Amino acid sequence: MDISKISQEQKEQMDALKDAIVTIDLEKARDVAEKIIEQNIDPRIVIKYPIAEAAEILGKKFDCGEIFLGNLVMAGDLIEEVVAVLEKHIPLDQLEKKKVIVIAAVQGDIHSVGKNLVSTMLRASGFGVCDIGVDVNSSVIIQKAREVKADMIALSSLLTTTMPYQKEVIDDLVSMGLRKNFKIIIGGGPVTRDYAEKIGADGYAKDAIEAVEEARRLLA
Amino acid sequence: MRLSFWEILSRSREGPIVEEKEFDLSIFKKTQELQKQYKIKYDPAKPIDMEGDLADRIYQAGVELFLDIGTYCITTKRVIKVTEQELQSEIKACPEVIEMGQGKDRVEMCHRDVEGDQEPIVIAGVQTAPFSDEEMMFKICKGCAMNQKVDGIWGGIIPKIEGKHDVIAGTPSEIYQYRKTVEVLRRAINSAERPGMIIVNNAPTSMATIAMFDEEMGLRRSDYMEVTGMSEMKVAYDDLNRTAFALAYGVTIHGTHSSVIGGFSGNPEGASIVSVAGSLQLIIVQKAESFRCGTVDSRVKSRVSRAQLWVAGTAIQGLSRNTKLIVDGNIGDHPAAGPGTKQYLYESAAGFVLSTVMGAHSAEGTRKFVVGNICNYGTPLESNWMGEVCKGAVGMTRGKANHIIKYILGKYEDRLIDAPEGETFEKLYDQKTLEPLPHYKKLYEEVKEELRAQGLKFRD
Repeated sequence: MDISKISQEQKEQMDALKDAIVTIDLEKARDVAEKIIEQNIDPRIVIKYPIAEAAEILGKKFDCGEIFLGNLVMAGDLIEEVVAVLEKHIPLDQLEKKKVIVIAAVQGDIHSVGKNLVSTMLRASGFGVCDIGVDVNSSVIIQKAREVKADMIALSSLLTTTMPYQKEVIDDLVSMGLRKNFKIIIGGGPVTRDYAEKIGADGYAKDAIEAVEEARRLLA
Repeated sequence: MRLSFWEILSRSREGPIVEEKEFDLSIFKKTQELQKQYKIKYDPAKPIDMEGDLADRIYQAGVELFLDIGTYCITTKRVIKVTEQELQSEIKACPEVIEMGQGKDRVEMCHRDVEGDQEPIVIAGVQTAPFSDEEMMFKICKGCAMNQKVDGIWGGIIPKIEGKHDVIAGTPSEIYQYRKTVEVLRRAINSAERPGMIIVNNAPTSMATIAMFDEEMGLRRSDYMEVTGMSEMKVAYDDLNRTAFALAYGVTIHGTHSSVIGGFSGNPEGASIVSVAGSLQLIIVQKAESFRCGTVDSRVKSRVSRAQLWVAGTAIQGLSRNTKLIVDGNIGDHPAAGPGTKQYLYESAAGFVLSTVMGAHSAEGTRKFVVGNICNYGTPLESNWMGEVCKGAVGMTRGKANHIIKYILGKYEDRLIDAPEGETFEKLYDQKTLEPLPHYKKLYEEVKEELRAQGLKFRD
């Protein structure tokens, strides 16, 4: 996998794919992905560069209000479809396992806006995301994380009275001897980095952009 | 005639099953389509719609959105839909006036017109914020209740029981502590000699909220039950539990829903449509008799960015012009800045002027947008400000409001991201006299004089 060996024509195709993703043009993205495969461009390079770059551009566009959550969800779907097409052409033993994150708003908390933003941004950034919704209790979160062999659990809380449930998930993992299996990242309106450290979380993010950066750092 | 709540509940069990993501995207796509169809365009240079024609189109688009996509019940994963006839009957059958409070503190909350001279009801207080202990909560709430321009106050929570045990949502601690803190709130209004004043609080779960109702020491029938529509266009059975209790107990239902700029509402134009549609959901699905029509911005921790003012202002104006519903705006409730700063007063004033002029009440309290775990993060002076500004803006024209709001925006607009944190009650009030410290009082008077000079007619 060597990006320096990419020809000018191949680079143009990769740029075309990036543009198709950024403009959320599904037809064009499918078409370019087929051409990329015909040209025998290493799919791993395509996933690592133009697709990752497109996800980053989308994140910045969202951050400055040029696009919205609905656009990000559609872009996430498009990226997943293109990656699935490309991955069929990667030998199984070279297939890089996608990092999987289980995300939920904790028990008693029905606020979904921030959690949805983080979930969508993580997915658009190439993580496998299992969003199990709002008001989810600790045992369900842990069960899902085990079931999908998650690498990370992301916990959202918008209320001071539901923040203790973020701690509960961590405490339960410790009690079950599973703490080392998952990185834990927390966030939400009243949540602070100090609180994250106090309850033994691995990471904290104040918004969706930071959540992606923190996930990349923790799962590198 | 209003559509039976039990019919709504049946539809929540029998309506079409839809994936939540599919529902979310349907909001996004439909609002994009509707803003083109109804020629809805946000112009940042005009934070207020002066003529009302745009607001009318936003109202029509909101009706169409609500009829087209319905309400998503996250408990059953089904969509609750109503017909146009049912919706129009519901709108006509909703009350134009509600009586709340008791005795000399009784008030009427009525439909307000755009630029109308009907009295706006102001329910202030450091809404749902944490207090360090009973004594401090009592002092702050009593101070808020003593403001004669305030018609009611919100309570909050003392987040530790016996000073050490966390109050946790969905556990016995939540029921116990919300019930005990509403007793503190009632003692505070009694001590302020306003025993019949409206008091409000809302716990995370319905069971703890219901547990606060008690005619002697808790919330009364003459107060109100707040029900919340989840953003965007959703409801859970836990919300509907509150409606069921309120219907059985006979307490006024007040709803609240927010569109999300940057969320599935999309751009400000989309959010204005969703703000109307969410309001309609509150009256027909959750049986609200009055409701808060609002918006949040996924990128701003305040409710009064220029775009938010436009969204909430046009949506409220559309509802006020096209219905006789009782609308709550309270746009200035959650500033980015903290108490004790000029920015807090500027931000909240922009929202309160707009709410009043567009035809709304302000019934959702006042506090910094994010208070987190910091206790006593608000004082009676912000409640006083809320009352002064809301009542001072009665009868103001949209043209005048536009002038004042543009002036105020210039004072805080570029400081929403790094807003000053402000101070807690302990740093802003004399703890013996319970009066604001001189520096805070001076700052308050300076902003008041500044806005008076711009044309805001305070009732001194």
